[in-house]
Amino acid sequence: MVTGIGLLTPLGAGAAGFFDAVCAGRSGLRRPAHTHPVAGILDAAGFAPRVDPATVLPPAEARRVDRFVVLAMAAADAALADAGVAVGREVDPARTAVVLANAFGGLGMFEAEALARQSAGHTAVSPYLLAGMLPNMATARIAIRHGVRGYSSTISTACASGAYAVAEALRLVRDGLADVVVCGGAEAPLLPTAATTFRNSRALAGGWADPAEASRPFDRRRNGFVLGEGAGVLVVERAEHAAARGRPGYAEVAGWGVATDAYHPTAPRDDGTGAAAAMRLALADAGLAPAEVGYVNAHGTGTKLGDAAEARAIRAVFGAHAPAVSSVKGVTGHPLAAAGAVEAAATVLALHRGVLPPTHNLDDPDPECDLDHVRKAPREVAAGAALSNSFAFGGHNVSLAFTHPPSAAVEAPPRS
Amino acid sequence: MSADVVAFTIESLRQMNFDVDGADGDTVFGPAGVDLDSLAVAELALRVEDAYGVKFGEEDMERLAIMTLGEFAADVSARASAPSALDGAAK
Repeated sequence: MVTGIGLLTPLGAGAAGFFDAVCAGRSGLRRPAHTHPVAGILDAAGFAPRVDPATVLPPAEARRVDRFVVLAMAAADAALADAGVAVGREVDPARTAVVLANAFGGLGMFEAEALARQSAGHTAVSPYLLAGMLPNMATARIAIRHGVRGYSSTISTACASGAYAVAEALRLVRDGLADVVVCGGAEAPLLPTAATTFRNSRALAGGWADPAEASRPFDRRRNGFVLGEGAGVLVVERAEHAAARGRPGYAEVAGWGVATDAYHPTAPRDDGTGAAAAMRLALADAGLAPAEVGYVNAHGTGTKLGDAAEARAIRAVFGAHAPAVSSVKGVTGHPLAAAGAVEAAATVLALHRGVLPPTHNLDDPDPECDLDHVRKAPREVAAGAALSNSFAFGGHNVSLAFTHPPSAAVEAPPRS
Repeated sequence: MSADVVAFTIESLRQMNFDVDGADGDTVFGPAGVDLDSLAVAELALRVEDAYGVKFGEEDMERLAIMTLGEFAADVSARASAPSALDGAAK
């Protein structure tokens, strides 16, 4: 059961505003300011709101922590507040878990320290570097801030990471290892070296005068993705635990599926078989028939190969029972490890509100991506079940299944 | 020189976002004073090493963490005026 959502995305802070912006097609993508380190490298990017590190960290540590950690902490604060959970009050600290995902770790902090060492010598390197940049530090700092004493881990499966964290949360609750799991992903990759390698690998959208037009999942003129940053955190809670404290929840996390391409470090299998296998496993795990699924939140990054492979996979899984499909990346860009968590939140909100958000910039659907696209305007549909897909460099495919209304279905009791 | 080291230390701690309002030679680095953790002690040591050409070993860190600013300044001054000891440590 998802009882809390915290988002920091190029569409701003807050889950309700995020979903409203996606539905209205308000793009969060901008041309970098000329003073920004990625100016001249990226034509368009998705910048999350500024967060003063001192709002989530003690002053002495606030100056030496990477932005991905700060974004994760702020999103976790928001998700826990939304769920009405204070660890130690609503939930036993030992039965609370944290699983935060990221792909790059604190690359920004590392790059700055490496340059400082080169120009000023070894005494210029901060002793705080590891405590500020290690990939597990989002998880660890959230645990420290909220007093989480149960299970904790960090997942890194590139662009699928955030959704893997939600899948792990479901397993922890099912296995009786936690009553509340703070899960999601955070990424801050708008950095010169990272942006340059994406650009040089020809993965990014290019040639768009208006940055708001650059990200166009499934559109015939799509030519790459737009790099973004942000954080998405969900509070996944054991249904009985939520019911006992009178929290209705947004939607149920009903199942997950993971399959691996075993094919290429960056390219997807163009027949989409890895993606299809992940979706089938998620449906089976949730006990859902394809016909019961009314909506698929696609990974849909806007790359030629990736979108076509995903469309093929969706058609293969659902056949005649074509669900409505959309991708929020048209307005958010691609925040890498945060994407899966942000999009899980979008899927949960779509079920909760009975509104399917449209794919922005999908003006001319590519025949290679023949699907029942939600485009131009949101669609009011009270879907009972939905999937959220995330795929990654490395060939990691994950699909999450959500159902609505959230039931108080009996899950495995906690181990005592 | 000690007064200079105290002033330098206070300014360093200010730059490191520690609350040093009212700090002086009698202020302790520990929880009753500025409350430095191990990483903060390490950064302060780096700054002082850079500024005064002294060297602290790993074994000095725990001792530093419980000094007053005045004791620390005296320690730094003694190290700075004993270049042969430093040379020895560097070999």
